[in-house]
Amino acid sequence: MSEVESPTDRPGEDVELSPYGGDDTEPDVLPAAGYRTYEVYQRERVGETTNLIKPRQLISDAYLTDPYSLLDILREHYPCFRDWATNRFWITRYDDVTSVFVDDANYETRPKLWHYNRVGWGRSLWDEVDLQRARVNRIDAGLTASVERCLAELANGGDLATGLAARLPLELWGEVLDLEGDDLSRFAGLFWTTQRGAGWHAEGRHEGLVALDELATWFDALLDERRGRDRDDLVSVAARLESDRPPVSGADLAASVLESDHETLQGGLANLWFQLLTNPEQLGLVRGDRRLVKFAWLEALRHSPPVLSAVRYARHEVERFGRLIPEGGLVMCSGAAANRDPRVFAEPDRFLVERKDLCQREPRGQYRADGLPSGIAFGLGKPSVHPAIPKDRPRSLYAVTRDVAVAASNAVLDAHPDIALTSGAEPTLRSLRLGEMHTCWSLPI
Amino acid sequence: MSNPFDAALEVLDPDDSEGAQRRFPEMPIGEAVDMGHAPDGRPLLDPRIFDSPEFGRNPYPYYRIMRDHYPVFHDQLHNCYFVTRYEDVTACYFDEVGFNTIPKGVSSGVLGNTQLELSGIEHRRRRNIYGRHLVGAALTKRLHALRQLGQELIDEWYAAENPHGVEIDHDAGVVTIELGRAFANAFPISVVAQVLGIPQEARQQFTWWYDAMMSGLGGSDTHHEGLVARQDLEEYLESLVESRRRLPTALTDEAGNEISLDIISELCASEIDGDVMSTEEITSFVALVVGGGGETTRGAILNLWYLLLQHPEQWDAVQGDDGLWNTAFHEMLRHSTSIGGQPRHNTFDIELHAVTIPSGSLVHMVDVAANHDDRVFADPERFDIFREDLYSGKILRSGHDKDGRYSHMGFGVGPHLCPGAWISHQEAVIGSQILADNMPNVRINVERMAKDIDGESLAPIGLGSIRELWLDFDLT
Repeated sequence: MSEVESPTDRPGEDVELSPYGGDDTEPDVLPAAGYRTYEVYQRERVGETTNLIKPRQLISDAYLTDPYSLLDILREHYPCFRDWATNRFWITRYDDVTSVFVDDANYETRPKLWHYNRVGWGRSLWDEVDLQRARVNRIDAGLTASVERCLAELANGGDLATGLAARLPLELWGEVLDLEGDDLSRFAGLFWTTQRGAGWHAEGRHEGLVALDELATWFDALLDERRGRDRDDLVSVAARLESDRPPVSGADLAASVLESDHETLQGGLANLWFQLLTNPEQLGLVRGDRRLVKFAWLEALRHSPPVLSAVRYARHEVERFGRLIPEGGLVMCSGAAANRDPRVFAEPDRFLVERKDLCQREPRGQYRADGLPSGIAFGLGKPSVHPAIPKDRPRSLYAVTRDVAVAASNAVLDAHPDIALTSGAEPTLRSLRLGEMHTCWSLPI
Repeated sequence: MSNPFDAALEVLDPDDSEGAQRRFPEMPIGEAVDMGHAPDGRPLLDPRIFDSPEFGRNPYPYYRIMRDHYPVFHDQLHNCYFVTRYEDVTACYFDEVGFNTIPKGVSSGVLGNTQLELSGIEHRRRRNIYGRHLVGAALTKRLHALRQLGQELIDEWYAAENPHGVEIDHDAGVVTIELGRAFANAFPISVVAQVLGIPQEARQQFTWWYDAMMSGLGGSDTHHEGLVARQDLEEYLESLVESRRRLPTALTDEAGNEISLDIISELCASEIDGDVMSTEEITSFVALVVGGGGETTRGAILNLWYLLLQHPEQWDAVQGDDGLWNTAFHEMLRHSTSIGGQPRHNTFDIELHAVTIPSGSLVHMVDVAANHDDRVFADPERFDIFREDLYSGKILRSGHDKDGRYSHMGFGVGPHLCPGAWISHQEAVIGSQILADNMPNVRINVERMAKDIDGESLAPIGLGSIRELWLDFDLT
């Protein structure tokens, strides 16, 4: 008897062909490559059900304002939660999250262009050292002036969230790209539209696509204009870039701007000041010892990271966390949950600038310069593969962001030694949309 | 105070309270909520619509947008892709190499590793074992039992204990029933239990299990209850399977002759690759048959009656015409099938309609959207048992295009074509005929039915099946 048999071709059986029984199209050849005869499957038992959390809670409005109470349930009860509603696995414990971040053999991160279904449209240029250097140099050169411009508007009080946290990163883009005035405002609008569009929101996505094209066209014109110019801004450097790859196009620059981190500086600054202003005793400590500004920044990123989670995809079927994660499976690495993991940090829900169990160096997950765990805020960060970084290599974006945040915060303290919230103000942290940064949008001082 | 970026930051409107959830207005049937337009004029689809009540009651305009503008729709909120055109769904179902049935579907948690999750040789081996019970001569010889079970249920309507909530108004000479409670809930599950070889006394319990399992499929709030029911069913079946392993039981025909073993006995006696099936395998199979054979057929009967009674000329036409009952059954499945579609998992990176789908993605084959594809069915939203583009003969795995007529996707197509298609067809048609014979001058009790948003017209079926169907008929 052949292995492929239909009910009708069994010898000696009187089975008549019924109206629905037709097996006339049984393929002769069984599929071979990429085909598995038996799927591995893990049976779920009653004791393993995840009934403490309902499927849609993780996409509810409650998650936008207070993700932590839901994440606590996941971390303490379902460390690898199969979320049927949004087809993903939630990873919430510190050691688990960091292990996925560093595991490039099994997991991959998809670029933001993938969300636009535009992979290959432009290439990200951030692996070019010349461009990295241009960015860092321009930021270093323009930082003080940028902060001063922000603080000048805040001299008699104002909103720290919009006046500093949101504005400063855009001022710095102005420095990096050498744009000012209306040009910079226009860039800022396009920048935000492209960043927000790389997600599930239909309208945002289409606006983002239009903005991406507009940005590319604009950069094309800028590249032409600045090609012969002997300047050190990012566009001029890109125009002169000599490499064995095709010349830089506007789309490449637009893709690079899209792929750069946009949330950590704005969200981190806003969250840092949110925490300081709502925890006056911690603000007092920082006032008394300015070295604590840096620690406050690190603690803010741990306690209230603007990027709540990072999305990774399984490159192939992988058995981890007691589950079989299928190829292509979405692994939702929640840095926010990991940062509050009591296995790693004592009293994780408190904001403590003098915390002794937090790494004071780069937050890169399992890489721990001083043996202590760091907060996970740069969701996609991973340890450098370089055993030693050459001296002339520009500082990492992490370090640049930290320096900017610390410098800006020091400047705020200098300008307003007795800074406080406007009386009666009750600021909160909130994501505007699911998957977007969790930060403070209004911080009146 | 001025911030040069005020205009730019309007993109980040902190007062945008829309957030993750969005309340979609309920639209007149057939019209979609305006969710904005892309610059090229294409209507936009907000993926939150799929979680909304509006989509459940009025899904077809949204599926039309998908078919016409996004034949592969990437839903980044729910992390999946939708394939909606008839031609594409068919091609994907037949591509056993390119699309795996790996358990990523929401049913797996409760039902277990069922036939739905198997591919290739493992799939065929099992399918061949039970196929003949649901399909072949063994079933044809059992049709008398279907009639008998149906008639028994109807006879109980007039019994003293009145277990089906039948209301008899002797003065007005009117009987009022809820078709589900009076007939459609119990009938399919009785048939399934009988074919499986479940003892009569356990059938009440069976009905409860299948209710709980169906409502507890993964991703739902009642998932826990579903798993509990599955566990109970398993404990019950364990002893049953053990006894059938020792002493197989058989099904009999009208004259009392043995036709064949019942399905559980057959599974106990069957070997796959030289080895007997485990109790777990048998339980998963039974769970699937209980689920697949109960809820879907119940929904089919209710939807069929609801649609026919709203189209009186079509209702009149089917009376006494067995052939037209069959046609009506197929048209009902095309128009309002209760299974929305099947999940698949692509084996390789594929590009379809200019969308690149990375390997391992969850791809939903939307049967109900394919059934309403106007590339195939003219005026698809219209229920019309006389339509000439629907094929309603012998359903083959490949039978989607015969002489310009296309079969509906209510049973899927390809290797996983519903094996219960024939038995459920027989249940719905035979059950309906018996019902029609026993319910003179039957009409919908409009007062008790769920209403649409205008508060007057009858609620649409939408996705799935209607919950209740209240009927009046003359007391004889």
